[in-house]
Amino acid sequence: MEFFSRNTVFWRAIFESRIPILGSVAYAALALTAYAADPTSDQLAFFEGKVRPLLAKHCYECHSTEAKKVKGGLLLDSMEGWMAGGDSGEVLEPGKPNASPLMESVRYTNKDLQMPPKYQLAEAEIAVLGAWIEMGAPDPRTGIKVMKASGIDWDKGRKHWSFQAVTKPIVPTVVDTSWTRDDLDRFILTKIESASLTPVPDSDRFALIRRVTLDLTGLPPSVDEVGDFARDPVSDDVALAKVVDRLLQSPAFGERWGRHWLDVARYADSVGKTRNIPFPYAWRYRNYVIDAFNSDMPYNEFIAEQVAGDLMTAADSKDRDEKLVATGFLALGSMDLNERDKEQFQLDRIDDQMDTLCRSTMGLTLGCARCHDHKFDPIAQTDYYAMAGIFASTTTLSGQQSRQGGSKDYHQPSLLARLDSPIPFKTPTGKDANAAKVSLLQDRLKQIQASVKKNEISKSRRAEVRKEVAEIREKLAKLGNTEADSKKGNNKSVVDEILDPNTPLAMAASDGKIADLALRLRGEPDIRGDVVPRAFPVILRQATSPAMPHNGSGRLELAKWLTSRENPLTARVMVNRVWAHLLGRGLVETVDNFGASGAAPTHPELLDHLATRFMDGGWSVKSIVRTIVMSRTYRLSGQNQTINAVADEDNHLFWRANLRRLEVEAIRDSLLAAGGMLKRERPAGAPFDASNVSDLSKGDKKNREGSSADTIGQPIRSVYLPVFRSKLPGMFTVFDFAEPDQVNGHRDVTTVAPQALFMLNNPFVVDVSTRAADRILAQKLPDDKARVRYAYAYALCRYPTETEITRALAFVSAGADRRSNWSALTQALYSAAEFRYIP
Amino acid sequence: MMNTCRNTYTPITRRGMLQHTAAGFGWMAFAAMNAKLAQAADEYTSPLTPKSPHFLGKAKRVIFLFMQGGPSHLDTFDWKPELKKNGGKSASSSDNNKDKAGKLLAPQFKFAPQGQSGLPISELFPELSRHADDLCLLNGMHTSNAAHPQATIALHTGSVNFVRPSMGSWVTYGLGSECENLPGFITINPVGLGGAQNYGSSFLPASYQGTRVDLEAGGILDIRNRHLSHERQRSQIDLIQEMNRDLLGKHPGHSELDGVIQSFELAYRMQTSVPSVLNLAAEKASTLDHYGINNDATREFGTQCLMARRLAESGVRFIQVSNRGWDQHRELKSALRKNCAGIDRPIAALLQDLKDRDMLKDTLVLWGGEFGRSPQDQADSGDGRRHNNQGYSMWMAGGGVKGGIRYGATDEMGGTSVLGKLGTHDLHATMLHLLGFDHTKLTYRYAGRDFRLTDVYGDVAREILA
Repeated sequence: MEFFSRNTVFWRAIFESRIPILGSVAYAALALTAYAADPTSDQLAFFEGKVRPLLAKHCYECHSTEAKKVKGGLLLDSMEGWMAGGDSGEVLEPGKPNASPLMESVRYTNKDLQMPPKYQLAEAEIAVLGAWIEMGAPDPRTGIKVMKASGIDWDKGRKHWSFQAVTKPIVPTVVDTSWTRDDLDRFILTKIESASLTPVPDSDRFALIRRVTLDLTGLPPSVDEVGDFARDPVSDDVALAKVVDRLLQSPAFGERWGRHWLDVARYADSVGKTRNIPFPYAWRYRNYVIDAFNSDMPYNEFIAEQVAGDLMTAADSKDRDEKLVATGFLALGSMDLNERDKEQFQLDRIDDQMDTLCRSTMGLTLGCARCHDHKFDPIAQTDYYAMAGIFASTTTLSGQQSRQGGSKDYHQPSLLARLDSPIPFKTPTGKDANAAKVSLLQDRLKQIQASVKKNEISKSRRAEVRKEVAEIREKLAKLGNTEADSKKGNNKSVVDEILDPNTPLAMAASDGKIADLALRLRGEPDIRGDVVPRAFPVILRQATSPAMPHNGSGRLELAKWLTSRENPLTARVMVNRVWAHLLGRGLVETVDNFGASGAAPTHPELLDHLATRFMDGGWSVKSIVRTIVMSRTYRLSGQNQTINAVADEDNHLFWRANLRRLEVEAIRDSLLAAGGMLKRERPAGAPFDASNVSDLSKGDKKNREGSSADTIGQPIRSVYLPVFRSKLPGMFTVFDFAEPDQVNGHRDVTTVAPQALFMLNNPFVVDVSTRAADRILAQKLPDDKARVRYAYAYALCRYPTETEITRALAFVSAGADRRSNWSALTQALYSAAEFRYIP
Repeated sequence: MMNTCRNTYTPITRRGMLQHTAAGFGWMAFAAMNAKLAQAADEYTSPLTPKSPHFLGKAKRVIFLFMQGGPSHLDTFDWKPELKKNGGKSASSSDNNKDKAGKLLAPQFKFAPQGQSGLPISELFPELSRHADDLCLLNGMHTSNAAHPQATIALHTGSVNFVRPSMGSWVTYGLGSECENLPGFITINPVGLGGAQNYGSSFLPASYQGTRVDLEAGGILDIRNRHLSHERQRSQIDLIQEMNRDLLGKHPGHSELDGVIQSFELAYRMQTSVPSVLNLAAEKASTLDHYGINNDATREFGTQCLMARRLAESGVRFIQVSNRGWDQHRELKSALRKNCAGIDRPIAALLQDLKDRDMLKDTLVLWGGEFGRSPQDQADSGDGRRHNNQGYSMWMAGGGVKGGIRYGATDEMGGTSVLGKLGTHDLHATMLHLLGFDHTKLTYRYAGRDFRLTDVYGDVAREILA
């Protein structure tokens, strides 16, 4: 087994710093107790006589609780210590000396792992260890609580660039002052000039309006908008400002930029994993996000509400509801509802919450410290559990519960938050006779619903079934009312809520039982270390950081700390995301990772300049977007320039615009717009039949293979289509939609044949093309040449060259059917790379 | 070890994808140099370009016959005479484990030695038994989880907790494809549990994800052009390509745009190659008969097996066919008989067909489910078994494995694997070895870490290598 190849960076770090480390192989979890329990008296004698003195003499100096500094996170002075293993896993496998890294290290067979580091043990001593492991490693030194010492070099960690306070760098001077429009341009130009290069010319107005309209709204500009901008006699600056201000006011802005946030919030309408149960109320959070971007809610408030909206004071009940819905952020995780171990389930949930929160807002990969100290960043495992305590003290209201087997009852309306009510909705306690009846009736109703979905009910039986459904509903209503009468009115809804998808429920969070969490060695729920008091990660703790309350989870404090100006990450991460969306690459390329394993900023001063402006400007996302799109840098064309390309092939200096592929939503919405089909209104309620909360991976074929597969034809914006985990529509998968399992600040761009097949053959594309052709043919235009020009302007926001006109005319005159010819032409325009790229 | 380090690092430089795949290890860059389509560094190289493995593997491709539900090893490929003797007796349970309590259920079908090797195989597989000397029974399988969804995902990706690339994606990533007209990884009628994860590429580039073929839905998504004549579509594509080349001219050396151009050509070829490879009309009547396609009981699986052979012949690297309904808590006798009857003839025909074409030697055929079943009776019904992940069986044939052997064993009653234990990672490591890979070195850098199919585990079962 080769284990030294993994984590090379880690190993290099360990060895270069001459830290001795013992054993780092993770083996499959072993049934250790089967071997190690109850040593016999002979075994004990052997251990006490031979093994313990040997370990004490040669190993304890670095691997015991008494060690000045514990190396490699490994303790050998207790059974719990070696059972827990070192930083990366097990060190010995009872019964199998040859499979135990401890033996390999003392045998000096691997030059990278020799223990003790300074000398080799005697043959006889090695044999003793071998014999001990062979007999199952009997060890009486039990009952010791293991708390691993941290091996983090805090001073070194603190020096990492992203943990430094945000500064306000001096705006650099540049040679070509006429080129710059905004201060940010100076930061860009100074680097280009230092490299003795010059930026390429600006985009023409056709390319520019297409770029800015798609960037800000995810939709192409209309032919009129293109014409108005192209003909606007005022300067580029003034003309562009008019367009930008119009776009920022469009509701489509929030639909586009809200979707960017939904990518990092791992938004989905179903839980995914093993029992893929839909979230009937996730859409409320989705709408909250879109509305927040449209109303330009200050970003610090936006983040704070998502972390602790339920704990904030609200102006009125509407405000309260919105803040409650915001905390849906914490409840949208992909969970394994089939997990039977409740503790594992809770720890997985917390991990999802911490990973999502820390990476989305701070680019901090805190999740890496669940099992061990972070390998690259100064984040101790205790930091993880300190913060995890905040979430362990929180009740996550996702409306679902985990349980093993069957397909029933994963959906639990009682585990959701109730809106417009000061009292959180509670499950009725105490069973009464009605409950059984209610359950029977509900089961029958679900059965009928399932049959209807499967088309199993013949026409002749429909009236009869309808009657039955009405009767059941009536009975249920009665039962509900009876319950309500006897129990102060707040149980009435139990029945209704299950039946009515429009009931005012939401996914949210609330404070639960306040308690600190015990550290889990190697992340294993069963191997507990010390309880770690709730706190923020050491490396980001400020003198001003709020203390953890005894009467609250600490989320409110977390929100304050996260959005304070002293937090060096929050503003930087967000302006970098905005920059990446608009320029094609972040100033920090790894938009979700600002740690040591992430990329360093190409323009650190510019990043701080923007972060400072962002905070000074009241954390207004619209302002920072406007600043960037009005800059000269944003306006550059995508032209190549040989000298520049030789010096900076990958355009790290931003001397030209990066060619960017549109996201699937923008491609689809552009197609809908081209076909004249797009409805701009937001659809009401859940984006699917929310009364069906059955497992999406079960049931009839249609249900199983993707209930959302056929949704792409709906004439609504893509952001409003359901996002079922593992059940994305084919088009979404093919065009690299963000996997909604975890934070995804950067979407993959793949180039695969199924994309071409989609554009060539998908009925949706063919339908759009035909409608677009009809529109072209319906225009009063003098001749086919004018029609070709119109078609190009319509699809690509530019006029065709003479060559292109000749080609297109030849193409439309070759086929027999005029409508089909023009449809095929427009389809070709949509299929061309130009349509799905922003130059 | 659990690992949640998953910070995203996705470079988006011009040759991002190549650099991306090459990061952290040199073999792939070297392999690319030897590749058939190796081009100047600045040109677009298809991620599916054939690549050399670490060493010469005997297997060039994999056909995985997945039996979803947990086939009973005790009634098929793991002969347990002691269980036969002790049927009806109470299972001894030293550890008060209620999963292990209950009466033992004897094997419900007769076993007899088969072939020259004398491998014991149950009467449920009369046809397959004729190939006993090609089979390498893996009787020491075990897996971490006894629930269908988790075990299914673990078998396909090696991980239960996290979304990871499927084994077919890893294989295609490692070897590329030998077929320019088809995707490198195809899964026919995939099962619902785990869904797209079972053939997903996760953080590997999308070119390596499995392309699903749904026989009921007519094959591959959008594969048919239903609105233009062939000639007309070709001229439409020519028009598209001229525009694409114009754009590429403005962005010289932009590998993504080159990729778009190539994607249209592959798509165009797939429109012909996919329906043709999936069209069984060209096969002889006798072949259809051998695969059992003329018989209701075997038609569905026979069709899948024959398509698998055709895809293998066309150069597809990893082919999976799936069969459902092996979860015999009840009606073990009748349901298992029916299931086995549905696959026995098709699999026998597939093995024979591969042999006849001299392809079995470099095609690894892998059969099995996500786990097996308990020696204990389900609720003393005398006709059902519970899930069992502690011990079960799969088998391999061809592709450089020894035939006619039983590798590994469960304990006397067949509940727990005790010898030649093969966990999911060991299975994957062995499969990769047969294909020419050191599983510890087939890595992909993602989120600042080199990932592999076998995580940090996996031992190759060297004893089964021919």
